[in-house]
Amino acid sequence: MIRHLFTLMWNRKRATGLLILEIFLAFVVLFAVGSVGVYLRRNYQAPLGFAYDNVWHLDLDPGTQPRAEQFATLQQVLQRLRGTAGVVSVARSSGNTPFSTNDNSTEFRAKEGTDKPKVGSDFYYVGPELREVMGLRLVAGRWFDRRDEATAAARRRPMVITEMAQARLFPDGASAVGKTIRDNDDDDYEIVGVADSYRAGGELSEPRPAAFSYVSPQDTAHAMFTLLVRVRPGSGAALEKQLGDDIRTGTPGWISSIDALSEQRLTKLKYTLVLPGILVIVCVFLLLNVALGLFGVLWLNINQRRGELGVRRAMGATAGAISRQVLGEILVLTTFGLGLGLLVAMQFPLLGLFDVAPGIYLTAMLLAAGGLYLLATVCALYPSRLAAGIQPAVALREE
Amino acid sequence: MLLNYLKLAWKVLLRRKFFTAISLFGISFTLMILLVVFALFDYTAGPHRPELRTDRLLFITRMKLVVRTGGSSNGNVGYAFLDQRVRTLKTPERVSLSQGFFSTAVAYVGDQRLKLDSKLTDGEFWQVLDFDFVAGRPYNVSEVRDAAHLAVLNETSARRYFGTVAGAVGRAVVLDAVRYQVVGVVRDVGLSRINSYADVWLPITTTTRNLRDPNYMGGCQAILLARQAADLPRIQDEYQQAVARAPLPDPKVYTKVVSYANDLLGSFTNRTGNEGGPDGGVGSLLRLLLSLGLLFLLLPALNLININVSRTLERASEIGVRKAFGATAGELVGQFLVENIFLTVLGGVLGLGLAAGALALLNASNFFAYSQFALNGRICAVALGIVLFFGILSGAYPAYKMSKLQAVKALKGDAGT
Repeated sequence: MIRHLFTLMWNRKRATGLLILEIFLAFVVLFAVGSVGVYLRRNYQAPLGFAYDNVWHLDLDPGTQPRAEQFATLQQVLQRLRGTAGVVSVARSSGNTPFSTNDNSTEFRAKEGTDKPKVGSDFYYVGPELREVMGLRLVAGRWFDRRDEATAAARRRPMVITEMAQARLFPDGASAVGKTIRDNDDDDYEIVGVADSYRAGGELSEPRPAAFSYVSPQDTAHAMFTLLVRVRPGSGAALEKQLGDDIRTGTPGWISSIDALSEQRLTKLKYTLVLPGILVIVCVFLLLNVALGLFGVLWLNINQRRGELGVRRAMGATAGAISRQVLGEILVLTTFGLGLGLLVAMQFPLLGLFDVAPGIYLTAMLLAAGGLYLLATVCALYPSRLAAGIQPAVALREE
Repeated sequence: MLLNYLKLAWKVLLRRKFFTAISLFGISFTLMILLVVFALFDYTAGPHRPELRTDRLLFITRMKLVVRTGGSSNGNVGYAFLDQRVRTLKTPERVSLSQGFFSTAVAYVGDQRLKLDSKLTDGEFWQVLDFDFVAGRPYNVSEVRDAAHLAVLNETSARRYFGTVAGAVGRAVVLDAVRYQVVGVVRDVGLSRINSYADVWLPITTTTRNLRDPNYMGGCQAILLARQAADLPRIQDEYQQAVARAPLPDPKVYTKVVSYANDLLGSFTNRTGNEGGPDGGVGSLLRLLLSLGLLFLLLPALNLININVSRTLERASEIGVRKAFGATAGELVGQFLVENIFLTVLGGVLGLGLAAGALALLNASNFFAYSQFALNGRICAVALGIVLFFGILSGAYPAYKMSKLQAVKALKGDAGT
């Protein structure tokens, strides 16, 4: 029966060529939407690694103040902030704070060991208070403390990496604590601890290895103009105004701007979802057209083959058998379109486009194919009922 | 005769309610998407407040310095460059200089924080554009010259800061710890009018930046109002001559200064790198949009053709009888086209309704700040045009096929091929 159907539809490929093309287009777009959806969902399920509630991002602008005086002013700012009621903790940070539009990355490789893979990793300069501010969780070793103030100036700077970085740098499963790694500028870092994860890009960004480099309280070179501040729950605009006024009046010419991390997260989400949103609308449009096309072709078909269907009924075919034939033809048609679409979709995992895991592409292909088959079945229900309703006597009499 | 055709069309549509319904759905959905996209386009680049007289307005927004070793520097234009070379142009009726892109100012009201988008402008800004003042007046040229700390707020910001609109005039607003006196309140300007959009407008002379910085690139733009629409090419030429006369900033580094005065649509297409040339690449953009629109229409049209062919096959006996009684092919084609256009017009009306709903949803979601998208005359005209085009496109082939039916075969019931 199935072979029969395939031969039937193949003979009619010219007449149904347009519909096959539509199904092919719809599959490609559905595949794109599915890939994006599966990718985003997979990212969303990975742990974020930090808490962003009640954390504020503070940007400092020293204006025209000479470089030499800036460190002293920064100390004043930190002192005032830490002394303000409502502020729990203040940490210095580099510009690539969570949900910001900045990022900073480098490549690391282990110094010891036989297998020394190069691992790309996000890179953060942070002060020791960051653990308290962001609620980081450690799984091995320790976080930065007073001991690091002495070694910071030494050859090997203290560093904390995430579990993902540890797994990639030491694929044999060894613990990273105590080992040394080197970056592209040939700077050495000693790993003092391993945190579970840290995804500053947000819930929808792809999980990447991360590394924190220690910024001591006496450091004048890094992390000078961005602060992450944890405030007491319930702090609002009043505290923000007070902090802004304190910085403006207490320091010569420094201006600050304060943003809550939760607000920055919403802005980033909005921007990330615009393009997928447009893709979904285009997809809905294409699916609608495929449905319309299927209806039209089916109805045309049934009208043209009234005689043939009448003969089949007269020969004893049940209504169910007729319905099944119509449904079968439509599914074969869909398969032709899907076949073309799969040829295109297969290129994505084979060529490794966009650096996305092949599993995502395969899941998206299955979802798209399943979706189209479902659509075709639903579209075939009414016309197949029409076909099954043809009375053999009436149909044959028209000849 | 037309009335008969319409009555017939209505009866034919009712015969197969299911297929009529899905055809209508397909047409209205396609039309809804096209109209929403066109509405977004119209509200960004069409004549709306404050850029009401778009046929007389030119915008200088981008400056490009071509680097000798390859590549270029792009950005908004420096204030001093505009002041020296654009204010002195003779052909425009009026020239206004303003900040190129809005910045943010923070205001604290009670225990609330307000983030307001602010734009620095000169006094001529209000004469070149048509803002809708609900209270007070704009600051004028002499007040800007004196660097008076005056502000014009939009309605929503006045309501959020003071609780009232009319009572806001004369009171003080503190932005980034600087005090300004509110001198006027305007109706909200949508974010899509990016050249003039802001929550609060301030005199450009109150800025802390150096307005005399000789750097050709800076943060400013110029808006020019021509005396009449025909003057636009002359103003563009005069500006090109002024740019050609400007000395190269650093001949060892740069080889060319590129800047154009574009109309409103051109200022958008040229927003990145001035690659569009003098007309802003508008021509190629419009061609691209038109071809995309056509592609969008093609798919539903082809589907409709299929459905229409089935419909005509069902009416084969009726057509056969009419032909036997002497109806010409032309009459039959005309009848079928009328029926098809009737269907597409119905779908068009539904599509207009859906589009109005979709635009209202967009406004309510505030995705584009202060958007007030609505169906206006231009959008309805475009809808009518699309519907007629669609009707003819999807009706021509089935009509032709129908007229070719042989009367004898149709009456015998052997019409299907």
